[in-house]
Amino acid sequence: MRRTQDEFVAERQPAWNELAALLEKKRMLHRLPPPAIARAAALYREICSDLMRARGAGYSSDVVDVLDGLAARACAALYSAPPYRLAALWELVAFGFPQAVRRNVRFVALAAALFVLPGVLGFVGASRSRGFAVQIMSEPMVAQMEKAYGEFGRGRGAGTDAMMTSFYVYNNVGIAFRCFATGILFGLGSIFFLVYNGLVIGVVAGAVGAAGHGRNLFTFVAGHGAFELSAIVLSGAAGIAMGYALVDTGQRTRWASLRAKSGDLFRMITGAALMLLVAAFIEGFWSPSAILAPVKWSVAGALYVLVLCYLVLAGRGAHRGGRA
Amino acid sequence: MQLDNTVEVETPEHVRFRFRAAGPTRRAWAYLVDLLVRVGALLALEIVLALGTGYHLPMAKAVMGGGTLLALFLLEWGYFVFFETVWNGATPGKRALHLRVVKAGGYPLSFMDTVLRNLLRTADFLPVGYLLGLVVMAWDGRFARLGDRVAGTMVVIEDPVRVAPPIVIEPPPSTVEIEAFPHHVVLPLPEREAIDLLLRRRDLAPARRQELAQMVAPALGARLGVQVGDPVRFLALLHHVVAGVGASVRPEARKGRRR
Repeated sequence: MRRTQDEFVAERQPAWNELAALLEKKRMLHRLPPPAIARAAALYREICSDLMRARGAGYSSDVVDVLDGLAARACAALYSAPPYRLAALWELVAFGFPQAVRRNVRFVALAAALFVLPGVLGFVGASRSRGFAVQIMSEPMVAQMEKAYGEFGRGRGAGTDAMMTSFYVYNNVGIAFRCFATGILFGLGSIFFLVYNGLVIGVVAGAVGAAGHGRNLFTFVAGHGAFELSAIVLSGAAGIAMGYALVDTGQRTRWASLRAKSGDLFRMITGAALMLLVAAFIEGFWSPSAILAPVKWSVAGALYVLVLCYLVLAGRGAHRGGRA
Repeated sequence: MQLDNTVEVETPEHVRFRFRAAGPTRRAWAYLVDLLVRVGALLALEIVLALGTGYHLPMAKAVMGGGTLLALFLLEWGYFVFFETVWNGATPGKRALHLRVVKAGGYPLSFMDTVLRNLLRTADFLPVGYLLGLVVMAWDGRFARLGDRVAGTMVVIEDPVRVAPPIVIEPPPSTVEIEAFPHHVVLPLPEREAIDLLLRRRDLAPARRQELAQMVAPALGARLGVQVGDPVRFLALLHHVVAGVGASVRPEARKGRRR
């Protein structure tokens, strides 16, 4: 004769409660002492068989539900990796990010072209005719830009610098994230943001140059441009790579193909976000300072070389970082 | 395709767990709670900044502006990532609605997963009010929005459940009462579950339990050829007899068993 549900529950419930208590005590099971982990693993196996028995015997759904939830939580706790490690940040910077960029170099090249070519077009157009600039941006915007860079180069207070740094974080990292995320629409969103931002930046540069303040603008932009412009291109490249994974699925289903790419997408977009944080501090504190133009130009040149060397050379010898 | 929102996950030991995937309504409520939390946090910060700096000081504007922008950035892009990482897939809103984000295999999500699924909110939001996300969700048994697809995650319901108390027959069944039933009683599973539920529910007043039992007991008694006295006691005895026989579940009755 088989056991009734109530006998079964009465006999097994202490074990269930013990496991529930172990799981409740620490979300991180791996921080428990080894005997407790071994005990949890043993209880987990018992509860799996309890679950099978409860289902097979047709016990009422509350029992099955309790066991289902308990077994699922235990399984997750026993098999999972820790959700985050600080060492992962170092791995990302040291080799994960630059390696991911190099693996996706064709998307980076495409994104760079989609960003730079409209930029050149906007620059040439706006420097030749103000009407072109006004077509792309509104008249007040163009006038404001011309004015802003006309009275430039005298430095600002530290308070303003700090505030502008937060603004650059908020604005630029936000743009990069949107540029990446909208790439899920088969890359179209990323392409739009790259072309649009390239065009606007080109037009501003052209219009300000035509108004005779080009030197001010380029002295300002040069320093942080190395990080900021390349980071925008890289986030766009990640977005296009994401969209392309939906198109060229390589024997996988569309969503599986996307997931197979997700590691590289994560590395590229977080790397780009880190670059934008660096850029925001340069743009907030260094770029508007009253330091002489030649110094700024040399530093800017050095930063461009640095960024390029980092992306091309960093982590070449290292093994492939983490999961693909 | 089934209308059920149960997701079955198989572990390395070939044990299958069932999760209940959370639908858009419940997730929208959780989102609303999170939105209120974020707005509240921003308001609190504004008040602290305003009081801390004083409006008239020259630095006040910069500190207010800078602090607000930084807070906006962190709340917009960091809020979900932060809570889903430290609370193992839950945020204040999800916790309030008993929701949790897990990997499609039932595992806890990693930092990478939460970053990707929350960055993709921007795309899910398009063109307005998570419309695209809603359409994509409707496509999938797990209600995965775009962010969930990229990260390989799902949102599951974790309603607290407890094992119901055992059924106690008072006074204990006599041999005569047991003997009155046929030797081998077989009930289809839905009937067994109904009787089980009627006897175990905590929130049923005795009079109502009596009333409900009166509706089914005579029919069952007539079918089994047993004299029905007190209907609740009759059902309890029937349950006892059936449970004593063991797993008297007809295979065909089990097939349709789904919550």
